Amino acid sequence: MGLIVKTSARAIIPLIGIFGTYIVAHGHLTPGGGFQGGATIAGAGVLFLVAFGLNEMRKHYNKHLYSALEGLGGLAFLGAAMLGIGTAFFYNTLWHNGPILNGKPGTLLSAGFLPIMNLAVGLKVFTGLVSALVAIAMYRRWKS
Amino acid sequence: MPFIVAFVFAYVLWLVLTAGTNGLLWSTQELIAGLIFAGIIGYATKDVVGEKSIRFLNPIKWLEGIAYAPVLFWGMTKANLDVAYRVITGRINPGIVRVPVDLENDAQYTIMSNSITLTPGTLTIDACPDEKALYVHWINVKDPHPKSSEPVAGPFEKWARRLGK
Repeated sequence: MGLIVKTSARAIIPLIGIFGTYIVAHGHLTPGGGFQGGATIAGAGVLFLVAFGLNEMRKHYNKHLYSALEGLGGLAFLGAAMLGIGTAFFYNTLWHNGPILNGKPGTLLSAGFLPIMNLAVGLKVFTGLVSALVAIAMYRRWKS
Repeated sequence: MPFIVAFVFAYVLWLVLTAGTNGLLWSTQELIAGLIFAGIIGYATKDVVGEKSIRFLNPIKWLEGIAYAPVLFWGMTKANLDVAYRVITGRINPGIVRVPVDLENDAQYTIMSNSITLTPGTLTIDACPDEKALYVHWINVKDPHPKSSEPVAGPFEKWARRLGK
């Protein structure tokens, strides 16, 4: 893209990133959550891809790192769900008697395993969407 | 250095978003979480914000930016009324003009182009740093070959040069 789009993208990409993280981190307090925030951060990745082009994206995109992070997000979600397996699957033991994340409702460190799950889903959605779109953008050529 | 710029921008936006969690201020949890997340974002985007972006952390530049706001707002008000006049009377003379500008870096071109686009009646189509010119679509062309940006953009070039330096 042109000069103006590139320069604006330089300024805006960190802001989109922190806004998406805000949505993910406050998923148990305000509207939004893992998927919405992850898709927002993926929007920052797509803006980078569109504004700076595929060659620049190739230098900054690591297929193995994104694949590993996506798996890590899924595992963290499963791990949070397994924490209360002594009682039941998905039993929110962090909220009932856990050491952390059982603060007063309405504060950031409340709601048991929900913040962990939101962060896990956000990470998974961000890496998954960026990987999918980069893979589409790198598709070999128009014909065959 | 670019890490610090991205970190500060991200942390300021986080503080704006989470203001009011402790009375009118911020609770400690939010401040610490903001540090962690802004650190992650700053590290991830340190290659994006640009090598010389540290100059935008200069407080003098912020004051100049605040001083620029009324200038831009006044230019927008005048141009809006002018466009309303042209909508009612239909007296338009549209065209694309090449405006030579004397700017040096990307930020100056971006500030200049966005100011021109924000004032109605003029719309930046392309910025060419190679030939030091902007291509502007103008609703009422008074001068098809301007020698400077003054007839198109008023005082914006001076401000853009100072803000982006």
